[in-house]
Amino acid sequence: MRRLSHTFLSQTGLVFGRSFCPLFAIAVIAGATLWGPWVSLAITVVAVTAALRWL
Amino acid sequence: MSRDDPDAPAVPSRWRILADPQDRHCVIFHITCLAAYSCAFWLYQHPELAGITGPWSRIAFVAASASMLGCISGIDVGVNFHNHSHRPIFVSQFVNRWFGRIWTFSGGWPSFFWEYCHVTIHHAKLLTTDDWTLPKQNADGSFEDFRRYMFTHWPWRLMTRLWRDMTARRSLHSKSLRELAIFLAFWSIPFWMDPVMAVWLWVLPHWIANALVMGSGMYVQHAGCVPKSLARPVSHSTVFVSKFFNLTMFNIGFHLEHHDHPRVHWSELPELHKRLKQDMIDGGAHVVPYGLYHATFLLAGDDARKKRFAEQALGYTRSR
Repeated sequence: MRRLSHTFLSQTGLVFGRSFCPLFAIAVIAGATLWGPWVSLAITVVAVTAALRWL
Repeated sequence: MSRDDPDAPAVPSRWRILADPQDRHCVIFHITCLAAYSCAFWLYQHPELAGITGPWSRIAFVAASASMLGCISGIDVGVNFHNHSHRPIFVSQFVNRWFGRIWTFSGGWPSFFWEYCHVTIHHAKLLTTDDWTLPKQNADGSFEDFRRYMFTHWPWRLMTRLWRDMTARRSLHSKSLRELAIFLAFWSIPFWMDPVMAVWLWVLPHWIANALVMGSGMYVQHAGCVPKSLARPVSHSTVFVSKFFNLTMFNIGFHLEHHDHPRVHWSELPELHKRLKQDMIDGGAHVVPYGLYHATFLLAGDDARKKRFAEQALGYTRSR
C-alpha cells in the first residue's frame, strides 16, 4: 500500500512537473478572474524575468 | 537502454496506444496548452468575468495572456512536438499524422513543414551552409547578431526557404499544398470567432513562440559551435544540465546527446548523458549549468555576459 501511494505521488508529481509551464500559464490567465489582469501581468513579468535570470 | 521499470513487459500490449508510456506527458502538455488558449479566448469573450471591460485592463490581460501563451506554444512545438517528429508518440501512423496536425497549428506551423525544417534540414545538415534553420554565419564562423536572427527568421526567411524547397521538389508539391490547406483550416478557427481577438491572443503568441522562444532556443543551442568532425566530434551543440529546466522541457537540454542519437527517447536522455559524460569531458564539449533561457539572457547581452556563456559547468572540465 505504501509503495502504491509512493508510486502514485511520484507519478502525479511528474505529471505536474512536466506540464508545469502550461499549468502555470492557465493559473495566470484564469487567475485574472480572481485578482484582475494587472496582477496577472505582474506575475508574467516576474516569471519571465526569473526564467531569464535562472533558467 | 533500460526503462524506469525493469519489470515492464517486453511484449507490447495489443491495446497499447502510445509508443512509450512516458509519451503521455507529451499528450497532457499539448492538451493543457490548448486549454490555456481556450481559457484566454473565453475570458476575452466574457470581459466582465476578469474585469477587463476597459481598454487598459484589456491591454494588461492581452499582454499577460499572449506572453504566457507564446512561451508555452514555443515549448509545445519547439520541444514537445519536436520529440514526436523524431519518434512518433502513437503506435498508429494515422493517429500520429492527425495528432501532429492538431499539435503544431497552435504554434503557427503546419506539422509537415516543421518536421521538414527540423529533421530534413537541421538535423541532416547541422551547422553546414545548407542548414538554413540556424542563424547565418559571419566570415569567422560566428553567428549573426542575436536580435537580427530572431526578428528576421520567422516567418520571413523560413517562408522564402520553404517556398523554394517545396516548389523545387515535385514530390513535395501536392503533400505541402494539402498540409498547408489542413493547417489553414485549423489555424483560421479563432479568426471566425473574433478577428481582433485572433490577432492578439493567437497571432501574437505565435510570433512570441517562434521569434522569441524557438528562435532564441535554436540560437543558443549551437552558438559558438562547429560542425561535427573527427577532430571535434562533440562541439556541434551545447549541453544544458539544469535539472528543473530539463524536468519541465522534456530533457531538451541534453542537446548534444540528442543530435548524436536523435532516435533515443526524450525520457532516456539523462541516462544517455550519464553514459557519455566522460567522452564529452574528454572531447571538450561545452556544458553549462543552466537552461536555454538564461543562455538567451547571456548571449543577448554585452561582451561580459557573452563571456559568461562560454564558461564551463563544474565537473565538466577536462583535467588534462
